[in-house]
Amino acid sequence: MLKTTLAGLRAHKLRLLLTGLAITLGVGFIAGTFVLTDSMRAGVNEKFARSADKVDVAVLPKEGGELPADLLGRVRAVPGVTDAQGTVRGDAALIGRDGKAVGDMPTVGISVPSGRLLRYGVDEGRPPAGPAEAVLDRDTAEREKFAVGQTITVLDHRQRPHRFTLVGILDFGIDDEANMRGAVGFDTATAMRMTGKRVFREIDVAGAADRAAVAAVAGPDAEVLTGERLGRRLAARAGADTEVIRTGLLIFGLVSVLVSALVIYNTFAILIAQRMRETALLRCVGATRRQLFGGVLTESAVVGLIGSVLGLAVGLGLGAGALAVFGGPDADIPTYGLTLAPRTIAVGLLVGVLVTVLSALLPARAATRVSPVSALRADLEPGGGRFRLGWARWTVAALSGLPGLAVAWYGAMVLDKGESALFTVAAGGGLVFLAVIALMPALVRPLGRVAGAVPARLAGVPGRLAVQNARRSPRRTATTTIALTIGVGLMTMFAVLAASVKATADEQLAEEFPVDYQLTTQWGGSDEQFLPRELADRLRALPQVAAVTEMRHVEARVESSGRGDRRESVGALTASSLGTVVKPEFTSGSLEDLRPGTVAVADPVARYWKLRIGSTVRVRTPRGPLELKVVGTTGMEGPVPPLLVTEADFTRYFGARDPSVIFVNARSGAAGEGARAAVEAAAKPYPTVRVTSAAEIKKQYTKAIDMMLVIFGALLGLAILIALFGIANTLTLSVVERTRESALLRALGVTRRQLRRMLSVEALIMALIGAGTGVALGVAFGWASITAMAEDVVFSLPYARIAVFVLLAAAAGMLAAVLPARRAAKASVVEALVDD
Amino acid sequence: MTSTSTDTSGEGPAPAAGAAAPPAVTAVEVSKVYGSGDAAVHALRGVSVAFARGAFTAIMGPSGSGKSTLMHCLAGLDTVSGGRVMLGDTDLTALKDRQLTLLRRDRIGFIFQAFNLLPTLTAEQNILLPLELAGRKADKAWFDRVVDVVGLRDRLGHRPGQLSGGQQQRVACARALVTRPEVIFADEPTGNLDSRAGAEVLGFLRASVREMGQTIVMVTHDPVAASYADRVVFLRDGTIVSELFEPTPDTVLDRLSQLTGGADGPSLRARHGLEG
Repeated sequence: MLKTTLAGLRAHKLRLLLTGLAITLGVGFIAGTFVLTDSMRAGVNEKFARSADKVDVAVLPKEGGELPADLLGRVRAVPGVTDAQGTVRGDAALIGRDGKAVGDMPTVGISVPSGRLLRYGVDEGRPPAGPAEAVLDRDTAEREKFAVGQTITVLDHRQRPHRFTLVGILDFGIDDEANMRGAVGFDTATAMRMTGKRVFREIDVAGAADRAAVAAVAGPDAEVLTGERLGRRLAARAGADTEVIRTGLLIFGLVSVLVSALVIYNTFAILIAQRMRETALLRCVGATRRQLFGGVLTESAVVGLIGSVLGLAVGLGLGAGALAVFGGPDADIPTYGLTLAPRTIAVGLLVGVLVTVLSALLPARAATRVSPVSALRADLEPGGGRFRLGWARWTVAALSGLPGLAVAWYGAMVLDKGESALFTVAAGGGLVFLAVIALMPALVRPLGRVAGAVPARLAGVPGRLAVQNARRSPRRTATTTIALTIGVGLMTMFAVLAASVKATADEQLAEEFPVDYQLTTQWGGSDEQFLPRELADRLRALPQVAAVTEMRHVEARVESSGRGDRRESVGALTASSLGTVVKPEFTSGSLEDLRPGTVAVADPVARYWKLRIGSTVRVRTPRGPLELKVVGTTGMEGPVPPLLVTEADFTRYFGARDPSVIFVNARSGAAGEGARAAVEAAAKPYPTVRVTSAAEIKKQYTKAIDMMLVIFGALLGLAILIALFGIANTLTLSVVERTRESALLRALGVTRRQLRRMLSVEALIMALIGAGTGVALGVAFGWASITAMAEDVVFSLPYARIAVFVLLAAAAGMLAAVLPARRAAKASVVEALVDD
Repeated sequence: MTSTSTDTSGEGPAPAAGAAAPPAVTAVEVSKVYGSGDAAVHALRGVSVAFARGAFTAIMGPSGSGKSTLMHCLAGLDTVSGGRVMLGDTDLTALKDRQLTLLRRDRIGFIFQAFNLLPTLTAEQNILLPLELAGRKADKAWFDRVVDVVGLRDRLGHRPGQLSGGQQQRVACARALVTRPEVIFADEPTGNLDSRAGAEVLGFLRASVREMGQTIVMVTHDPVAASYADRVVFLRDGTIVSELFEPTPDTVLDRLSQLTGGADGPSLRARHGLEG
């Protein structure tokens, strides 16, 4: 039996290749993910091992703490210590060539030790020494076009500018903070002066000192590690990042494998149907059912194995490609060549073979049902005829579809908005999809008529024949199209989510953010920064400006009955702007009731303490506790602090503070002309202050959302590609099956081109059915997800984008038909007619 | 050179019907070779034959005699290795694939032994398929007449799967007739039918020649089927060896047994089980 199976496989190499291709791509994606993340991780490990080599003992503060400055002296006094250096870190905003602080966040000021304990790579120049020298990380220097020898300006922790000579360009390696924000390096004393930090984040020790001796000096608040352990720990922490990337990619890999499984299932199902005579003949000459079953499974295992081996090669290629893209010469990800771990090989082969064999199980069972007599009977068309949904499919559809819809509806409409509602919708979506798979064969005929309406009219007789062909074996068409439905459906859902999030953001921006310009400082530094008060006054004096709104806030301890206290942000907005420029959305109560002695709390805060109108909260202030009566709750949107008090109360209890944000409304018409330039000019003396407009904010998040969509699209692209191979595969098999029919058509006067067009239209219809179903599901569950995600979201349907998806799917479907169509057209009429 | 036309077609006395008209299809020294060198198989060795307009001609011969190959070449389904095939004034051997396809569509009708119909189309759609391919409108009266002649009026909405073998072949006949082609080629049209259904189909073919003036060339190995024709052409080893006018099953069988070596006469007779 094995020999027969293998002989069959050898006889149909092309078919084998096409089937294997689906699994090759799926396994390739998964293997590629492992290769990429393993290589990244190997690079990280290598780098840490190298840099930690230089340190003999490291002293680290316990979680979140710092090391006192005097500890350094005591460590240095430990016998055997030849050198000890403390690491200082804080904000030190580099001023760019445009006179503004570089980046959204201030650059990190880092102490760069000299000598043996220098853990960073020096790309150019040398480490800094003395109060007038600084170095930059490579990315920042390149982006801002600073070269060694030039003068750079850096702000200290009080925002005062200092000038330094750039003496070197360093590679801060895998230091996350330095990579994200950019880094300026000084010698330790200068770093302390610039960042205002008098404490260390880490003390590195060189020399033959005993770890225990250092630990005794460091005391209980510090951890003392050997250099080797430090390296391992840092590497493990960096490895967590690759773990996240891996998980994310594997989810998409799973989608691809699922699609592959459908394609393989379909291919085997068709093959078994076409081989009915052959199988019956085997039964006639004495093959048992078990042997036939085993034969099909062996065949699938061989296909799976070959596909998986090729998949590993593809994965290696994909991994290399991804590394080349992400890991160019100036990438943050260090790499030291490709890593193909034994685990990757094992997982790839296992997934590939297992998925293929599992997909072939049902077709294999169908092969065992062939009776020996069918070898002698005239050939019936495989998979054809009227299709009736069997009880199994009805059961699956009913048991998953109805609860699925109910669960999704419950998640979207009933549950509180948020993550759990979203997951509920996702679970419902999965169930509904299962039902669609079960029902699809019954849907193919009506959908085929709809999708084929236009082609049938435009492409004449071949078009109409193609529509009939697409509908003639519903099971086959259903499985082929479902594979495409997955990719297109997810893509549509992401597009709907993206468009809705964008539309929601737009609406909020327009309604609750009716300002022209927003002035903020860099954010995310270790110290919170505020805007200078006098800037607001300067802005108010501008003739082009209609209104200036300041938002102030402090972090204060807040408590209420029932639950303990916690830090919350208490804030106020310029009184004249509240209700006119900024209109907080009240979910209960109203703005009119906000008077001295009262507070409006954001919904999550209200939920935490179970606050209602009339409850009281206590806020600890420098001038004693402040009792505030709750007069309303606010939604989360807009620039409203979680605890909103009147400006008068705020000033009385927290003093005159600098604002955290300033909003500027320009005068309308001619009076407002040049407003932007005027506002920019007013902000010029403050390098960390940045002016943004609503349009710029919009552009920023639009860009971020679009980027996300492109990434998802690229990742789902493979699933769609596999589905297209599925279409090509199904068509190829159909062409083989319809050889005589094609010959008859050719004899009756169908030209080669018409025959090719027929196949194209058939592929087009299948693609349209698949994409259409995907769009329908994607839009429905996109809507459900967005509804479940948050209150007050605006549902937006990205018509143009969805239309593009459908057109692309249609075009790609027709592309998939090219080879099968050529094969059909090339076939000799006479041979096909004679051959029976 | 001076008397070519009459010489090449003049295998014997012309039949009474359509004697004056030029032949519908003419083969001139047609040869067909499959493969090359030692493996070359000469399926046709310089066959010259003419098929008269408005006549029902049968091509007979033992298996491997080249009768199907001859038909494929005459119908423009296959290319010839040498010689010429003329359909009316058109030299088929000079045509490219696309022109041949259109010629088949517009000027030739086909009836095959099996798999004559598209399973996805109804009987009516199958009948009208060649016309629709050509973008031509069906002549309603003609369509009705053809449908009535083959007796399919109440089966038009059925798909091939719902029709008996005889009905399917009648649909195929109707399809071939409805375009009013210059010639209909039938390849063992009754090969898969029982004798009653076969007799019906052959009856229609003969009626279409007598009543509608259709030209039909039929390949068959069945002496009874051949007896429906006006003339039988006998092929052996790729050449025409004999012909017969006004055949009966017995005369056909006699001629066949002469061709295959005489002694087989009775066994052939038995094999064909001459019921009629």
